[in-house]
Amino acid sequence: MKRNFEGCAICNSTWGNLWAGVDGERLFFCCTICEVQYRGLVERIKKETGWSHLDSLDIAGDRRGRSCEVSSEGQRARFVFAFNSEGHLLRFQPAPG
Amino acid sequence: MTKCPACLVGFAKGDYPALAQHFVDRAGESDSAHVRWLNQNLTRRKSEAKDLVPPLETFFALRQPSLTPWVKARFIAKFFGKAPHPFVTALQHPSRATLLGYVIEHQHFLRQWVRSCAYIMARTDRAEVVEYELDNLTTEYAGFGPDRPSHYELLLRMGESLGVDRSVVLATPPLPATRSAIEQWNEMATREHWVAVLTAMHSLELIANRNLVDDGASVHYFDPSILTGNEITPEAQGFLREGYEADVGHSDRALALADRFSKELDLVEEVQSVFLRSIDLFDDYLTARLERGGQFEA
Repeated sequence: MKRNFEGCAICNSTWGNLWAGVDGERLFFCCTICEVQYRGLVERIKKETGWSHLDSLDIAGDRRGRSCEVSSEGQRARFVFAFNSEGHLLRFQPAPG
Repeated sequence: MTKCPACLVGFAKGDYPALAQHFVDRAGESDSAHVRWLNQNLTRRKSEAKDLVPPLETFFALRQPSLTPWVKARFIAKFFGKAPHPFVTALQHPSRATLLGYVIEHQHFLRQWVRSCAYIMARTDRAEVVEYELDNLTTEYAGFGPDRPSHYELLLRMGESLGVDRSVVLATPPLPATRSAIEQWNEMATREHWVAVLTAMHSLELIANRNLVDDGASVHYFDPSILTGNEITPEAQGFLREGYEADVGHSDRALALADRFSKELDLVEEVQSVFLRSIDLFDDYLTARLERGGQFEA
């Protein structure tokens, strides 16, 4: 999958040293919370869109609130989301406009 | 003593190289508390310990003789910056769900509040600190008789005005983030110096300090216009008004005591770190209020 981050897959930090397999990819995370966030986010996007896989995931924003643009098989979607302190989705909805 | 603001382990006073090495080591283990602190306060870019020392020194530098402006600036940056904490945003014109999330999680917070303040009283040898804590606890928890109920009682009345009986509020266990924060505040109260606990707990009352906008806060805790009119229930107005009126004095008096005794007892650096740990817990706890509120949304 194409991503806009070179560091941690959810926050782009380069601290940490955590590697985990997600959907057949080996991804870097700065900490366990970010890994939980990423897994939950991808799962929720798939559930909302009905897509079986994602081709790209671009994330913007920070811990106060993030947005993402995703694509799969030529289709695109945008969402806004935020996490609780355990890394679970607190808010997830289609981006306005 | 210098302390790590993520885990409160201690180092020699002013030993920022040791603190920087500690951060690098713990971040190398992907420890979420340390990585989070670095990401949020210093840099998201992995660095060598020697390169973290100057930003750490800058971060902790008081710049002014008093501790109070530093505490307020850090608090404002965290909760009232360009993007305020989402709970603060939600409380500007709160929904029923937001206020109920506040009620259910906050009653747990206030019960811990009593314990934390009791530890301060038990461990201080300063009469003015005991007097301050007694006044604070009476306002927050005991009340001054039927005409001036406690903040705790006003909180429960707010919940009832929104259709949730106090028996339900009191029987609802805290969300994990609230529980975790409470446990860590309790541990902090038992282990840390009373001056650090005083600062760590009473700085949290800055959240409702309406004068913080004069120090750079982007918004108030809530839009003061909701205290009049019928946007929220009279009981909710009563609860919010109490904090709005009391917390200027509570936080400013406590910070004056913290400033005085942290210098007198040479505790400034550890007070700073314990305060920083406390506001991280508070950040998570405020998010838990929102999470709980989500359970009441239609």
